[in-house]
Amino acid sequence: MKLRAFIDHIEEYIISLLLAAMTLLAFSQVVARYFFNSGAVWALEATTTLFAWLILFGISYGIKIGAHIGVDIMVHKLPDKLQRIVAVIAALLCLLYALILLDASFLALFNDQLNARGGAIVYVKKMYQIGIEMEDLPIPRYLAYLILPIGLGLFALRCIQSLWLILCGRRSGMIASVDDHESIKQHTKTAAKPEAKTEAKPE
Amino acid sequence: MEAFLLLVFVIIFLMLGVPVAVSLGLSSIFYVVLFSTDSMTSIALKLFEANEHFLLLAIPFFILSSTFMSTGGVARRIIRLAIATVGPFRGGLAMAGVFSCMIFAALSGSSPATVVAIGGITITGMRKAGYPLPFAAGVIANAGTLGILIPPSIVMVVYAAATDVSVGRMFLAGILPGILAGVLLMLAIYIRARKLNLPAQAWQGVGEIISAARDAMWGLLMIVIILGGIYGGIFTPTEAAAVAAVYAFLIANFVYRDIGPLKGKPWRKPNASYLRSVASNILLTARGLLPAMIHTDTQTAFRDSARTTIMLMFIIANALLFAHVLTAEQIPQMLAELILEIGFEWWSFLIVVNLLLLLGGQFMEPSGLLLIVAPLVFPIAIGLGIDPIHLGIIMVVNMEIGMITPPIGLNLFVTAGVTGMKMTEVIKAASPWMLVLFFFLLVITYVPIISTFLPDLMMGKI
Repeated sequence: MKLRAFIDHIEEYIISLLLAAMTLLAFSQVVARYFFNSGAVWALEATTTLFAWLILFGISYGIKIGAHIGVDIMVHKLPDKLQRIVAVIAALLCLLYALILLDASFLALFNDQLNARGGAIVYVKKMYQIGIEMEDLPIPRYLAYLILPIGLGLFALRCIQSLWLILCGRRSGMIASVDDHESIKQHTKTAAKPEAKTEAKPE
Repeated sequence: MEAFLLLVFVIIFLMLGVPVAVSLGLSSIFYVVLFSTDSMTSIALKLFEANEHFLLLAIPFFILSSTFMSTGGVARRIIRLAIATVGPFRGGLAMAGVFSCMIFAALSGSSPATVVAIGGITITGMRKAGYPLPFAAGVIANAGTLGILIPPSIVMVVYAAATDVSVGRMFLAGILPGILAGVLLMLAIYIRARKLNLPAQAWQGVGEIISAARDAMWGLLMIVIILGGIYGGIFTPTEAAAVAAVYAFLIANFVYRDIGPLKGKPWRKPNASYLRSVASNILLTARGLLPAMIHTDTQTAFRDSARTTIMLMFIIANALLFAHVLTAEQIPQMLAELILEIGFEWWSFLIVVNLLLLLGGQFMEPSGLLLIVAPLVFPIAIGLGIDPIHLGIIMVVNMEIGMITPPIGLNLFVTAGVTGMKMTEVIKAASPWMLVLFFFLLVITYVPIISTFLPDLMMGKI
């Protein structure tokens, strides 16, 4: 059970650690520069790469917890059955987004007039063959960019999962709404609980 | 007109309930697949490289510092200061809510965060004092939008990144308009409060103001570090944001002790001698430093900040993609020719800009909209002799209004969350106060000096 809880939260740990690493790295550079007059040339590239990892790794987690915002007012006006159909279409569109960015060449199957070439997988493969390094960081370029196909792949998986949940009727759509916006709920909990009591208001 | 299709795609996707980020990205992708010769590789790389814009790196740090500042203690102290100052007026608690939002906005770069931090406490307080709930909620939802106008501001960072304007200038430019907007809101509250016969707080004397200010000082010092650091040439804005994040972590954990291992530990035990207190506090802080970094509260703060960052940056990355397609198709140039041909003057052009932004603000998240609209209107505005800083402030004020208008009004979302009201009720509650913001927008649009005075004074004319 414990292991399962850990796996359930593993994405949260990873994004938290990435953000913490970015912050510490950026802060240490400021300290290094002003107090010790030194700094690492690779630090900036490392920070931006961590940032890219944070975002690209996190987007699938965003789908999982329904954190991505969108417009739900029109959808909510539809009758229930239609709502579910629209939600399925939305999930499919999100999936399509990830798939095209991964490798667009499958689009040629539908129509060979389309401009369908390249994608994240193609790029990483090419970088692997060429074998060049990052500009400042002494790591191979393909390794840093690997998060692009990984992130988009996970995004696609989460879209498929959401699609399944929508079909089962266990999820209402792809976007955050007030009812199931987890972060807002949490904010509300933390904001309403301790402070409402402790405030000292002159009356 | 193929470019028109791009817009049609976005609107259709948004209506279908596709997330904003994916709507922008997917329509750009469709456009490329259908009409362009760009390879999908370069499009996918944009997602990775969007984040390499050095300025945008400031965003996660500002979000993080704002999360640590929202942990309760700072907001509570700011509110105490605000009540001591403006409380004695009629409707004083509501005015104090606005004033608190103004101060908190100077510590936080985001509007929803301001509503959560300040609204959570003040709305409950106002209700206890006999204010109607819609009144309290409407005031805070509106005042919370000041979060993006008073520096630091994430939206200003985004504008600066999109147009290569100096962030330092933008931050300075937001100060006077921010104060003006706050004062206007307070005036409106005063007038309403007289009519509704709302209570005033007792005057507690100058001593209370000074003591409250001293208590809130550690939080307020952050804005001094950020602005002073940027203008003193000590930090770049990104570095200032990273320093602010670490500072906020230290303040929340070790000075105010609202979270972390020292939570609830007093600075001075009763009867303890002065020296003993100093020694015990040094010991506590040193012993707490490592545990604080891995404490549950810190983990929660990092997790929440990471979530917000991901959500926002995913939109920003896709908006950059969208803007890239627009630029590649020469749409800004075409639009500029069209506008100049019609013969717009600067003042009539600004009406168009305002309408465009107000309309777009209904459906888009502020940072995303800004990244798309800025490249379109910026060259025209410069051609018509509009100050880029002035244009930036106009855009930010429009985004403020966008945050309290449905369907994507983040402030409405969080106000509903904080009060437990329904969305429709919050919309109704917020709308009368929005008139104040509309009037404010008009003033900002046609009195450029309010925006440009401070930056020109401190940093010289461009």
